[in-house]
Amino acid sequence: MSNDSVLRAQHLTKRFGASLVFEDVTWEVHAQEVVAIIGPSGAGKSTLIRCINGLVPFESGTLELLGYQLTGGGRGPSRAVLQDIRTRVGMVFQTFNLFPHLSVRANIMLAPMEVKRVSRGQAAHRAAELLAMVGLEAKADMYPKRLSGGEQQRVAICRALAMEPEILLFDEPTSALDPELVGDVLAAIQQLAKEGRTMILVTHEMAFAKEVADTVVFMADHRIVEQGPARQVLEHPQTDRAQQFLQRVLRPGAPLGGASPASVAGGAER
Amino acid sequence: MTVLWHTWVQAFPAFVGGVRVTLELTGVSLLIALVLGFLLALARLSGVGVLRGAATGVVEVIRSIPTLILLFTAYYSLPQIGITVSGFVAAVGTLGIFYATLYGEIFRGAILAVDRGQREAAQALGLSPVTSLRTVILPQAFLRILPPATNQLSNLIKDTSLVFTIGLADLMFQAYNAGASNFRYFDMFILAGVLYFACYLILSKLLARWEMNVQRQRA
Ligand SMILES: Nc1ncnc2c1ncn2[C@@H]1O[C@H](COP(=O)(O)OP(=O)(O)OP(=O)(O)O)[C@@H](O)[C@H]1O
Ligand SMILES: [Mg+2]
Repeated sequence: MSNDSVLRAQHLTKRFGASLVFEDVTWEVHAQEVVAIIGPSGAGKSTLIRCINGLVPFESGTLELLGYQLTGGGRGPSRAVLQDIRTRVGMVFQTFNLFPHLSVRANIMLAPMEVKRVSRGQAAHRAAELLAMVGLEAKADMYPKRLSGGEQQRVAICRALAMEPEILLFDEPTSALDPELVGDVLAAIQQLAKEGRTMILVTHEMAFAKEVADTVVFMADHRIVEQGPARQVLEHPQTDRAQQFLQRVLRPGAPLGGASPASVAGGAER
Repeated sequence: MTVLWHTWVQAFPAFVGGVRVTLELTGVSLLIALVLGFLLALARLSGVGVLRGAATGVVEVIRSIPTLILLFTAYYSLPQIGITVSGFVAAVGTLGIFYATLYGEIFRGAILAVDRGQREAAQALGLSPVTSLRTVILPQAFLRILPPATNQLSNLIKDTSLVFTIGLADLMFQAYNAGASNFRYFDMFILAGVLYFACYLILSKLLARWEMNVQRQRA
């Protein structure tokens, strides 16, 4: 294990009751690395990243995360540990999940003020900076339902960034968007990658994964089937399973595929 | 018609006092019901099995007993075991506890109806369960609470008339009294009905405006 590792999973296994979601996941993420997790629906991609910020517990294996040693099963980590992890790991959801009763600005200011006790003025200042970064400074006083999906997702990214997370998780950040709105969100994520942020993103945008990700993790059949440098996994997959999957999603008009017309979008398996 | 007006004007001062007692009973009972109801809802939603079971039991039992029995128990039976309470306290205690079970269910339903993604988003940002409830869940549940809560309020106002049976001088009592002295029961009960309706109308309009303001503010 190199010393700049921020996450190291060993033999992680996750079940919901009797049904297995994934097993024997062994995986390492380094500081400033951008990881794309790809794979067919139901492979356990979302569940894996939810384990990373403790939204769901795992049954066995170990997870070294931000200096904590977490083991599966039992009662899980203490509430204090969980809360610390969650403040240091940001999460962006497929369905944005902005708080509808708060303005865009208040959405971004809430957690820094409530959790980190940042002053209102400071939180507002940071919110304005973040909104400017994604080109939404003019929408600060609006309520989420007035925004397009793409704008909402960019606000959700700002909300996560406001906590200055050490790791950012994205669960299919563009899957719920109309094709013409995907580009702006991907551009925002690309900007974060350039800044050297550590990011793990579940995505169906293969072209985007190839462009921004350093490494790609391919999950299928309840496990990590293949992982490695992005170009290698996406262009020269070693396993049959990955080859099959990539062929299907990269070929437009394929039964399970359907290439998106968006500029950066390669294709999507739904 | 003129006769009706005449008796109404005569009886009115006593009725005003009755309305005051009715509103006081409603207000205090409502306050008790809201606080206890909120606690009941939290208990029923909590992860602690014992708490959840106890709260569910309390709700089921109290909901199934006629309010009049609860009221008589508080007023007539408690003194037999050495606890004497005034009519007012017995009334607001009884109504408060009974309506707490109803408001508790309203709160619980409204909290459960908030999208799961909202709780997850709050959790993922590191908000503690209490902070998440206060800043994310309850503000959203609020708009779902107001309409059914207003409905129950109309029932509560009407149910305060039960205190007539233990001799509190509420609107119902004044109507009966006035009728007994001028023998115009019909006119008196109609006036009382009109005043009950007026109380409900004013309160429900205020609540509806509150709801509208909140909705407009969040648009
Ligand atoms: N809360 C839950 N309870 C029970 N089963 C669940 C739960 N969440 C997920 N699962 C199951 O776990 C499996 C993996 O789900 P997951 O959402 O992680 O897949 P995914 O790879 O993200 O798929 P998709 O690409 O469709 O988002 C699925 O079979 C799903 O039905
Ligand atoms: Mg998923």
